Amino acid sequence: MRSQQKQFFERLDGGSLKKWQIRKTGWVYLIPAWLLLLAIVLVPMFFSFTSSFSDASLMNSDSQFIGFDNYNQIFKDSLFWEAIRTTVIISGVSLFIQIPLGFFLAVLLNMELRGTALLRSGILMPLLLTPVAVGLMWRLMMNIDNGVINGTLHMFGLPAIDWLGDRNSAILSVILVDSWQNTAFVMLLLLAGLQNIPASPIEAAKVDGATTFQVYRHVILPLLAPVALVVVMIRIIESIKLFDFIYILTSGGPGTATQNISLLDFRYGFTFLQTAQAAALGIIITLSLTPMYLLWRRANRI
Amino acid sequence: MNKSKLARFSAFIVLLFFFIGSLFPIYWTLLTSLRDRLDIFAKVPKFFGGNLTLENYRSVISDETFISSLKNSVFITVLATFVSVLVGSLAAYALARNGRFKSRRPFESWMILLRALPGIVLAVPLYQMVVKLGLYDNSWALVICYAAINLPYSVWLMVGFIQGIPIEIEESAQIDGASQFRILTRIILPLVRSGLGATTIFVAMLSWNEYLLPLILADEGSKTLPVYVGGFVTSRTIDYGAMAAAACLCIIPIALVTLLVQKQLIRGLSLGAVKE
Repeated sequence: MRSQQKQFFERLDGGSLKKWQIRKTGWVYLIPAWLLLLAIVLVPMFFSFTSSFSDASLMNSDSQFIGFDNYNQIFKDSLFWEAIRTTVIISGVSLFIQIPLGFFLAVLLNMELRGTALLRSGILMPLLLTPVAVGLMWRLMMNIDNGVINGTLHMFGLPAIDWLGDRNSAILSVILVDSWQNTAFVMLLLLAGLQNIPASPIEAAKVDGATTFQVYRHVILPLLAPVALVVVMIRIIESIKLFDFIYILTSGGPGTATQNISLLDFRYGFTFLQTAQAAALGIIITLSLTPMYLLWRRANRI
Repeated sequence: MNKSKLARFSAFIVLLFFFIGSLFPIYWTLLTSLRDRLDIFAKVPKFFGGNLTLENYRSVISDETFISSLKNSVFITVLATFVSVLVGSLAAYALARNGRFKSRRPFESWMILLRALPGIVLAVPLYQMVVKLGLYDNSWALVICYAAINLPYSVWLMVGFIQGIPIEIEESAQIDGASQFRILTRIILPLVRSGLGATTIFVAMLSWNEYLLPLILADEGSKTLPVYVGGFVTSRTIDYGAMAAAACLCIIPIALVTLLVQKQLIRGLSLGAVKE
């Protein structure tokens, strides 16, 4: 009965009854969302943009237009280049650890051994924890004098490592903690990708006498590539956003060894109180993300 | 046959190793939170037992700032999640049903930009605005900010769930003369209930974990739990036992939720990467 009615109406208006209605009213449903965006994103971003061309600071309320001075200052600031370097190192090395390891774990979980569900839950747990708590937990464990990691090294007669106090080991520690928390993310998405691969090409390759390695190399990896690309992109974005646990673990130190671009922006704004310079760095970060979100936009048409 | 059994066994051992590695820091923090100073500062770490005590929890819970931070966190998380999911669902409905209205593409672009943008980039101008408007250290300001920054998650997740409902149901309701709003409230929302639940849980988790915004936009009055917990490291002498106890109190709700509704969280996490 219903479908007959439907067919009748479809004939009546050429099948576009529903589309016509929604087309006319769709934007109405977006009004609350636009209002939220306007208040919390659009206006602040605009505000940031204009103040990046002024000499505003938290001390100085009546500010003047100074052109690109803030941008020039940032590009001349050695802290900026150091933060770029730190961000690139953290995100590069993290990817180098997390992508292969995440893939490896996904393959193992995909074997569907007994107890897999429990193992997966445990491995996923770090991913969801409050980053601040993660920072505290590792600070507790990496403490040079009474941390459990050095304590264990001591038990085996090995020398203590200054995990958070030495420039090189501090950056390594940040990467380690990031990998502890986020490898599960890579694993999760690649596992979903593996499970979405249809069985037939794999079967066909096996019938043709391909070894397991060959199946992975020539069938599974190419089919997994699109998901892997998005995962890499998300991880790069997340490592640029990285703030919470570094702030707790090292506060960017020792010195400025683990100060990534987000922490530097925080320093500009809330330690040096150079609001305009912080705004300018914000604009630089936003612009440098452009290729990322264009790619994402293409990969993820809603 | 034997070879594959061996492979499966070694795979299990490797997974077990990573399972233990993932959980050990949590276990260690929990253990530390239950210990007295003597055991915490032991030169040779004790991996089990010792004198367990609730003293650290007692000292954290008796701290007034902890109680007020907990209250603020619950208040802000609940309201921000409600606003974000409500507003996000309305937008998602329009997007999911493929209307080609003008504001669609810019809206989608802003959602992606907002998802990619580091929090600090927004926090700098938001701080100035909030101070100017006299809303510094105001919980309601935090509610609105949280709701907005989590909007991409509410919208994207809900788009996926609404697309999962066959459109024929709506079409027949429309033919029966139901208005669009009525269709949304009476037909779509009940059908998408479980998806709505999943979205709510995920956004609530993000709100609960948020650190940067309350760090910058709030002081004592609307301090949240992560800021309170983070405060332990900035004090000169760190009270490790109390710090561990505070960290545990902060992650207990998350750990429970992870165990109970993992499927829903996974859906939120894989957002934007895996098409369903």
